[in-house]
Amino acid sequence: MGAAAYNGFRAMWLPLEGRSLEMFMQTQMQTRTKIYTVTQVNALIKEVLDTTLPAWITVKGEITDWKEHGSGHRYFCLKDEESVLPCAMWRTSFAKVKFKPANGLAVVVSGNIDLYVPQGRYKLIVEEMMPAGMGALQLAFEQMVRKLEAEGLFSDAHKKPLPKYPQRIGILTSESGAAVHDIADSVHNRWPCTRLYLYPVPVQGPGAAEAIAAAIADVNRRNEKLKLDVLIVGRGGGSLEDLWAFNEEVLARAICASRIPIISAVGHEVDVTVADLVADARASTPTKAGVVAVPNVEDVLSELVHQEKRLTGSMRARHDISCEYLRTVLASAVFRTPLLPVLNREQHLDDLAWDLGDAMRTIFIQTQKLMQDYREQVARIEPHRLLGRMMVELNELRSRSLAAVTRVLSGRELKITAGENRLAALNPRSVLNRGYSITTNKQTGQVVRTAADVRTDDLLVTELANDNLIESRVTTKIDKG
Amino acid sequence: MTERKYRDEINKLTFEQAIHQLKDIVSKIEQGEIPLQDSLDQYEKGMALIKHCRDILQKAEKRIEKISKEEPPESEKGREDAEPLLGG
Repeated sequence: MGAAAYNGFRAMWLPLEGRSLEMFMQTQMQTRTKIYTVTQVNALIKEVLDTTLPAWITVKGEITDWKEHGSGHRYFCLKDEESVLPCAMWRTSFAKVKFKPANGLAVVVSGNIDLYVPQGRYKLIVEEMMPAGMGALQLAFEQMVRKLEAEGLFSDAHKKPLPKYPQRIGILTSESGAAVHDIADSVHNRWPCTRLYLYPVPVQGPGAAEAIAAAIADVNRRNEKLKLDVLIVGRGGGSLEDLWAFNEEVLARAICASRIPIISAVGHEVDVTVADLVADARASTPTKAGVVAVPNVEDVLSELVHQEKRLTGSMRARHDISCEYLRTVLASAVFRTPLLPVLNREQHLDDLAWDLGDAMRTIFIQTQKLMQDYREQVARIEPHRLLGRMMVELNELRSRSLAAVTRVLSGRELKITAGENRLAALNPRSVLNRGYSITTNKQTGQVVRTAADVRTDDLLVTELANDNLIESRVTTKIDKG
Repeated sequence: MTERKYRDEINKLTFEQAIHQLKDIVSKIEQGEIPLQDSLDQYEKGMALIKHCRDILQKAEKRIEKISKEEPPESEKGREDAEPLLGG
């Protein structure tokens, strides 16, 4: 095909330019005999483009409709005020791009125009991409990132932990911008109990970076009084130029030096600044600052409720365990029947007493039995009968002895009477009856036998029979002797 | 009584300190690390901490104060200007 087909096309369309409709219709009739397939037409167009357009074309435009495909290829459009050019950048080409292309970014790209036959669409296949206009800043940004990264400013070692429950938050941003309200709302919607302190700073233009850096240093110096838990430094979206203050070294170093943790919240999601890299935490936009800076009050309240439940629950369990323990102790034998040891001893005593009673009874019974035996033995001896026999014997002996004594006595009595009679015959006084008398000297009491026994004038007593007495006096003594 | 005892001490705590102490107390009681009488004290302290935390949360400040710029003292000003950039 080639040139011939191309000429055919030209013949087909050229009549429209200035010729009459009639002529056009005529030409149409001539070419109508040739019927192309869709693919042939697209291939034809591709052929034309390939042969007529320069193989390497450089285009300047603003990126729009940027798409990052999972395959790693990038699809986007370049636009200017009037027109849009579809572009594609294959994975291998894109890997060489050092900056991050995004919608709105002005770029200069180079490549070739190609038609994708299956869809009949042409694209600029981009092999090189450079930022346009902002190229110098972009380069500066990249250089800054590399430098600070080499110094370790972005390393985790420099990151300060954020307070979990900030009570006082400093906001460093423009007083007039929307960012301050976005930040405040995003914080207060989640965590209404915090106080916010705005430190107004310029966020773009010459000197902005220095001003923000000075503000960070100022707040740190005064934080004994200000008592800020965390700082949010940021601004709303804008061009790379607008955000430039947040890419400057002076601010990066101030953020790194801050003793108060700093959250960056700059621009849109896609905007990454040096400040974002060096800050202790990054919120992708000012409206996301709250999510990064503060907890959700609802979560914290339910955590409190949870802790309260655990506290009361464990306390109750603790109490229950103690009560149960007390119950167990009280249920033990010692407390249930405190007198048990006494009772046990009492029972023992009872047993002993019982045994003793038994023993006593046994002894008693045995003794009784023994006595009974003796009584029976005694009964068998019959003492009264024995006594009776003895009494009879005794009586008999008594009467015999009595008879014997009487007999002896009778003999003796006879003898005594005879003796008596004889004795009476011998009694001097019986002589008296026969006329004899007995004279006694009254002075001497001696019987007068001779005259010598008396003296003149002695009184004499003469005893006569029948106890008659005569007293006489000696008058004369006649001694013949 | 006990609550009054802890109140002054607790009121000085930040939210973070209070909730930290609270969690500490809860785990101690849960693990039975402390005697019953102490745990009763700690329980009351825990409840006081919860109240303190709630009080803080219920203070809906929702306002923004402005920090006015304060010129650093002259002695520091000069140094400030000459302050070398960190690690620079």
